[in-house]
Amino acid sequence: MSIERENQIHPIVTDLTSSLFGVTAGILGLESYNGFLLYLVLSVITTIFVYVVKVLPESLSEGRSIGDTQRFFKGALQFWSGGLASGMPGFVLTWTLFYGLVRV
Amino acid sequence: MTWIPRFITFTGLVLLAHAGYSAQEHAALASATAQHSNQAGTSTSLPIDISIETIVATMAVCIGLVLNTPNLRPIQWNVWAGKIEREGAEGFRDSSGAVEKDYRGNPFGTLESRPGFVDIRKQRREFAEWAKSGST
Repeated sequence: MSIERENQIHPIVTDLTSSLFGVTAGILGLESYNGFLLYLVLSVITTIFVYVVKVLPESLSEGRSIGDTQRFFKGALQFWSGGLASGMPGFVLTWTLFYGLVRV
Repeated sequence: MTWIPRFITFTGLVLLAHAGYSAQEHAALASATAQHSNQAGTSTSLPIDISIETIVATMAVCIGLVLNTPNLRPIQWNVWAGKIEREGAEGFRDSSGAVEKDYRGNPFGTLESRPGFVDIRKQRREFAEWAKSGST
């Protein structure tokens, strides 16, 4: 039950933010690899922020070491890379939309 | 305290809209000047202030969204049940101070109170002894 809930909450953030990153990339007018690089960098920053705000305080109070996400997520890989693939289509969608709105 | 993340998100969205409008105006202006001056090699890169505004707005909206998400819950049953046992509903308040809507109390509640396993004869005996001791 909690696993399902976690699997929903983290992607809600990544879905919303990936569309937002598409707006950013479109406004900045990035093309090809630069846009995907921006997506990667901003996604990592967002995940770090989620970790610092939501995961770290309770994990530390439970006595876990820094970087351990086992209290809330099954694996570290699932937490750090879980939203990357699912957010990519939304990113490309808003990226092309805002690139076209601003430039053409 | 729920208005702080919303305010950050709203500010970021306004900044982002402003940056988008500025970039659109800049692109229109650049194409117009290129037409009039007939110079093919005119630089049309985005001004640095619009870039900075876009990045800052994006980070602001991100921060607002992350602060506004509900709290995570431990995925191990014993850890979660222990938290409920120790803190009760107090441990499940969201950022606005209200108890979360999907808080259902002890996850082992169905196991701990099973009416079919109540020893009714023992309870009756205990009640009889209590009643006798109370009457004397």
